[in-house]
Amino acid sequence: MNYNLLLGLLLFVPCAGAAICIAIRAPGRILAAMCTTVMVWALITLKLCLEVFSRGPIQAADRVFYVDALSAYHLCVMMLVFVASSVYAIGYFKEEIRSERITRRGLHQYAGLWCGALAAMTLSLISNNLGIMWVGIEATTLLTAFLICIPRKAASIEAMWKYLMICSIGVAFAFLGTLLIAAASGGLHLSRSETLLWTQLRVSASALNPMLLKMGFLCLLVGYGTKAGLAPLHNWLPDAHSQAPAPVSAIFSGFMLNAALYCILRYVPIVEQATGRVGWSLQLLSLFGIISIIVSAAFIIFQHDVKRLLAYHSVEHIGIITLAFGLGGLGTFAALFHTLNHSICKTLSFFAAGRLGQTYDTHDMTKMSGTLASAPVWGTALFGSLLALIGVAPFALFMSEFQVLRAAIDSRAIVWMILFLAGSGIVFVGALRHAIAMAWGEPVSVAVPESTGMIEKFLAFAPIAVLLVLGVWIPGPLLAAMKQAASVLRGF
Amino acid sequence: MNAQSIVYSASALLFSPLLLGVINRVKAIFAGRTGQPLLQTYYDLSKLFRKGAVYSTTSSWVFRAGPTVGLASVLVALAITPFGRVPALLNFPGDLLLLAYALGLMRFFTVIAALDTGSAFEGMGASREVQFSALAEPAFLLCLAALACKTQSLSLSTIISRMNFGLWAKDGPALAMIAVAFMAVLLAENARMPVDDPTTHLELTMIHEVMVLDHSGPDFAFILYSASLKLWVMGALLIGIILPVRTGNILLDFPATLLGMIALALLIGVIESVMARLRLLRVPQLLVGAGVIAVIALILILR
Amino acid sequence: MQQWLELATVLLFLSNLAMLGLSELGACVRTVAFQGILLGFITLIVRQEGLSVRLLILSVMSIGLKGFVFPFLLLRSIREAGVRREVEPFVGYVTSVVGGLLMLAVSMWISARIPATATAMSSFQIPVALSTIFTGLFLVVSRRKALNQVIGYLVFESGIYMFGITAVGEIPFLIELGVLLDVFVAVFVMGIAMNHINREFDHIDADQLSSLKG
Repeated sequence: MNYNLLLGLLLFVPCAGAAICIAIRAPGRILAAMCTTVMVWALITLKLCLEVFSRGPIQAADRVFYVDALSAYHLCVMMLVFVASSVYAIGYFKEEIRSERITRRGLHQYAGLWCGALAAMTLSLISNNLGIMWVGIEATTLLTAFLICIPRKAASIEAMWKYLMICSIGVAFAFLGTLLIAAASGGLHLSRSETLLWTQLRVSASALNPMLLKMGFLCLLVGYGTKAGLAPLHNWLPDAHSQAPAPVSAIFSGFMLNAALYCILRYVPIVEQATGRVGWSLQLLSLFGIISIIVSAAFIIFQHDVKRLLAYHSVEHIGIITLAFGLGGLGTFAALFHTLNHSICKTLSFFAAGRLGQTYDTHDMTKMSGTLASAPVWGTALFGSLLALIGVAPFALFMSEFQVLRAAIDSRAIVWMILFLAGSGIVFVGALRHAIAMAWGEPVSVAVPESTGMIEKFLAFAPIAVLLVLGVWIPGPLLAAMKQAASVLRGF
Repeated sequence: MNAQSIVYSASALLFSPLLLGVINRVKAIFAGRTGQPLLQTYYDLSKLFRKGAVYSTTSSWVFRAGPTVGLASVLVALAITPFGRVPALLNFPGDLLLLAYALGLMRFFTVIAALDTGSAFEGMGASREVQFSALAEPAFLLCLAALACKTQSLSLSTIISRMNFGLWAKDGPALAMIAVAFMAVLLAENARMPVDDPTTHLELTMIHEVMVLDHSGPDFAFILYSASLKLWVMGALLIGIILPVRTGNILLDFPATLLGMIALALLIGVIESVMARLRLLRVPQLLVGAGVIAVIALILILR
Repeated sequence: MQQWLELATVLLFLSNLAMLGLSELGACVRTVAFQGILLGFITLIVRQEGLSVRLLILSVMSIGLKGFVFPFLLLRSIREAGVRREVEPFVGYVTSVVGGLLMLAVSMWISARIPATATAMSSFQIPVALSTIFTGLFLVVSRRKALNQVIGYLVFESGIYMFGITAVGEIPFLIELGVLLDVFVAVFVMGIAMNHINREFDHIDADQLSSLKG
């Protein structure tokens, strides 16, 4: 099996797809080309991940690329989110084109940047070199910036500017952190091509300078944390998520945040090994996680805009995932499980919010009442996904949050546990109020009656079904994959 | 106290008004005029000394004392300022602080003499003078402190005599920054161009000139003469830093330093010709900038 | 070499202060260009082992991008937006300059704790690199015009670059090129974004972009 070819194709396909999407003239075919690109990419990814899970980590291109269980697991989540969002985009943009909110030029821009962002995120997931990982994340920021303002309005331009500035500065901080890590390895006398290789640093972690490593990790946490939407660095997130078109919000929330978090996670085993396994970096992760949960809980209560509500939910769930990673042990497993659940659920809820937004021509929750009656398919999907998001049993998110709780008890982190419970409780009450009012409120007249095809119905109900199934039973291969991924982080 | 110092001090007393003449001459050439004679300042001084003084009935002894105290202070300053390798008449550790205080005393008396007249314009000038010197003085002291650290000495004579080109080769950036900051302070303290326009005839824009409007006769001659001495004192320090010719032969070093002073006067003339006066709001920025540069020089030297 | 390096470092810091004290946008852009050229020069002389093709390419790219391409792009945005100066920044100019000194003091305090200073030839470089980073951040948060925020971002990036070439020995060439490319695209994207802002709002005051809250 030639891994060089496989990994090369993984990067080449989206790039070529982007070029094709920009070259095509017929508006109807642009999205079809985009979907085809994503499907081909997904097949290659699937092949790659199966290789990794069955045969262990893959290295290629003189160790520049390295895919282990952790990156393969994230690639799988990314695949789900991207495939679903690409299919959904066809239906979503059909309505946008009909109501003349988007031009052909916007469509070109959307499809090209979409494929570009796919390539950039893939690059950061499969690279072994921490510097190239950074290049991937920075490229993601720049490529996705214009996705936010596809229907060019004052508000969306404002959101784009905030996203661009805050994330650029944040990600530049991450680069400073990367440099500090490189400086920490100065004592190893690595050759130029070996510097910053994750596998190299992982092996010789004990010989790194702990002081520089700690400073570097702080910068990385702040930098990638900004991109991951950890409070108090989350300011760009609600604006960008609420102004972007629904499929874009879905990949932002469903995967881009996790990609940034993944970058932080890569450093955790190295830092832990070098600082004597006292849990220094894990404590920091827990702290940021808890702050995110509490801050987002406070904002969720007073939200009126449904997409902003979902955006704050993202902050909360990224907080939960980070907290779980910080707890270690069972927490690592719970965090990976929660990543999957949250990505599926959040993708679905942004799908629903986007289509309902088109139906009602607003995102104001007070003007979107009676969704179950006036838009049965997406109304049900939104209600279901909101219930799942706030952790109602037996959805899978309940199970993973329960595991986080158990991990907290196991590691005697009682303060974290209490704060986590308090935050989730506030979110539960606050969001449930909105969800019930939207679902069963007095039906209002809709701008465009809902019309859904088979594919859309499938997109709306399949994720709920998956979440319900995962809540009671985890398939064996998935369990094995998650255990392998967790062992990458736990093996220090 | 040796013969060289006495000769030097006498030459300073003699040549200092010449600097103003050189500056004016350069400006005239730049403007395409014939300009005043080089020795115009001497003619002005002798004319003023021959005149009588007029005192307003509302002014008190402070007004009369101002020019005299001013001249006395600047003479003290001159007595502790070395000229190149030639040590000052008086030198002792810590005399660099005395220099700052002597110049401060001179300014203080000029200011209160101006305030004593009760004129609104002079009050305005006094206020500006105090505001700007409050910013220029820290920069001045920081420059001196940096030099003192560099040469491990607290006496001006030792500091300047220890300056040489070897020091410049070793610590060029720091010394250059000191020189730049010092130049800015010199221009501000002597009411020269980017800060104050000595030729302006509009009271509203003046700083130094407006403060001495009411002085006449010998009093004004004192003021004019102390101004030229002050320029000489600060110029001698600056030249001592940036042109440390130390061949060991006094007959070579002394004329070199003297030529340096003339060159400095030429430079000031050029600056005055090519630059416009800064807006009053921008002047503090210039002086704070000079102070900041001096701080960096100090940091560079201390580390 | 040591002498020139020191001079360039000091000039870099002075240009930071100039940036903090200047109100005219065009002058700020020219100062950024000066910094870019200075950094290209520092790249050439910072390593004891002397010149190599790698350093030469890096230096030429740094000078070309930061010294000429970025200023060209930014000056064009200034012309299009029709703004000449920053009016009433959140922090005054004199205060900013004094703040710049404080940043240097903090940077010296921090760099005394970085054990890697041995790699830097002059112990003044790392403090200046860090204070350049702080200056960039300060410019981003304390100025109103979107253009000044881009300038702040560039200064921030220059600081990181300076830190990279002085404190870190060996970095793969690929990363260095990738980083330069990313910065280039970032400035390009920000330029287009500013264009959008200007067309949509008729101004480029970032502080007036405040309709999204909560």
